[in-house]
Amino acid sequence: MHPNLSFEQAPPISVPYRFFLTAPWFGVTAGLLLAWLGPDALESRWSPGALALSHLLTVGFMLQVMCGALLQFIPVATGGNVWRPRWVASLVHPIVAIAALCLAFGFALSQPLLIQIAVPLFAAGLGGFIAVVSFSLLRTPAHGMTIHVLRLALFGLAVTLILGIALASALGWQADGQASWSLVLISNVHAAWGLGAWALMLVIGVSYLVVPMFQLTPSYPAWLTRTVPFGILVAIGLWSLQLGVDGELVQSWLSVVALGGMLLAGLYAGTTLWLQALRRRRLTDITFVFWRGAMLALLGFVASWIALEVFPVLGEHPRAAIWLGMLALPGVFVSVISGMLYKIVPFLNWLHLQRLGGLKVLPPNIKQMLAEKPMRRQMRLHFASLVLLLGAVLWPPLTSLAGLSFAVSFLWLEWNLVGAVRRYIDFRSRALSDQVIDQTHADASSRVS
Amino acid sequence: MAGQRVIDGRDLLPPEPLELTLAALDTLESGEELLLLLHCEPHPLYAILKNNGYRYTSEQREDGTNAIRISKA
Repeated sequence: MHPNLSFEQAPPISVPYRFFLTAPWFGVTAGLLLAWLGPDALESRWSPGALALSHLLTVGFMLQVMCGALLQFIPVATGGNVWRPRWVASLVHPIVAIAALCLAFGFALSQPLLIQIAVPLFAAGLGGFIAVVSFSLLRTPAHGMTIHVLRLALFGLAVTLILGIALASALGWQADGQASWSLVLISNVHAAWGLGAWALMLVIGVSYLVVPMFQLTPSYPAWLTRTVPFGILVAIGLWSLQLGVDGELVQSWLSVVALGGMLLAGLYAGTTLWLQALRRRRLTDITFVFWRGAMLALLGFVASWIALEVFPVLGEHPRAAIWLGMLALPGVFVSVISGMLYKIVPFLNWLHLQRLGGLKVLPPNIKQMLAEKPMRRQMRLHFASLVLLLGAVLWPPLTSLAGLSFAVSFLWLEWNLVGAVRRYIDFRSRALSDQVIDQTHADASSRVS
Repeated sequence: MAGQRVIDGRDLLPPEPLELTLAALDTLESGEELLLLLHCEPHPLYAILKNNGYRYTSEQREDGTNAIRISKA
């Protein structure tokens, strides 16, 4: 080992792990809630069940992992220093987790009080997180498109938060429906910023680094790394003008702007699949397959959106938006995040065991941190759940089975991650006790001599 | 200069290049240079080098390869 080396750049391992180990429980809750509510939950995107499920996945599962990953990713991948990461994590993690539960169950149980509690918690917890991470991203000495795109993503998160607070305030304090704005319109813009300008933007920015690095593909073409994120942001920005501008003229170009954004997202997904096909070593590990599934789901989302625009009879069906939601949330984001967790957690175990230094026994190989077989089985269950969820949109009697399958898939993800963390703790305990024994022997020897 | 050792990490999966580099640092002699070839900027390695008395230069080649030259400070 490397006894004299310092690994100060990475934050303590507890910083990302508290987020990673909490996140799957939101997915378990979402699956169980869907199984319990049954077909009614998927009747329309405005049903209490659908609102609860979408937010359990977005501000529950996705936001937990993305917050934890950013606190880890910025120092390790960009060299930026996050201000007091342990302190930030210990505040942001519980506040955002409680806020997500309050919001989701406020929707599910139609309880405005819970939504009222969620609003200040999100404003403080997520607002503080955005401020701290933005500051470190602005000060990082590194350059490159990943940094620029991460900054755009943080801006997207800030806009999503502001719109979300406006919506939740309207719902929480004006439950009689006397809101002064069109809640449907704001909800659409909120969803576009949350899914497009924050979540997809973060995936895009991170992918420029991790897809070539972990999947040994060629780099993304330089023109694409600029065009796609800025184009998507411009499209969402123009599309959001409908909040302030009224009239037929606006309506006529809204679809064109949205189509432009969708085609850019499709171009990104197609390019990622093409780069994967050109990888330099024919490795097909779990992360690779999760990414491939996510990109296919993104292409499916874009194709579905175009089809729903072309055939308004389909587009106006209340379940059309649920179909898109299934492709986006479990299809794109849960897939890509699961794949990244299976890559990040073994790597962090390895990196932090290296930090111990002076070990007599080598830490386990990175492949031994998390066995391939349970990861692969969990991945199969995840994709089977996705098929069941899409099937449930078309054939409602499948809903409860799809919900149960989805819950078990997340439970398995949690089990696999806990197994990896236990391996880290076991080895660390053994290594540290060996060091203590060695030190005791050395002290005893020096006293004798 | 005592010589140069080369680690081509471009076709290796992380953390293999970092593992090989850390192992090489353990035996790097004064005046000897370690050349590490990667497709990315290894920020964790930079922090380790700065904190442990190594100097390095990083240069990006036209094909996108980062060439990192490491020696004892």
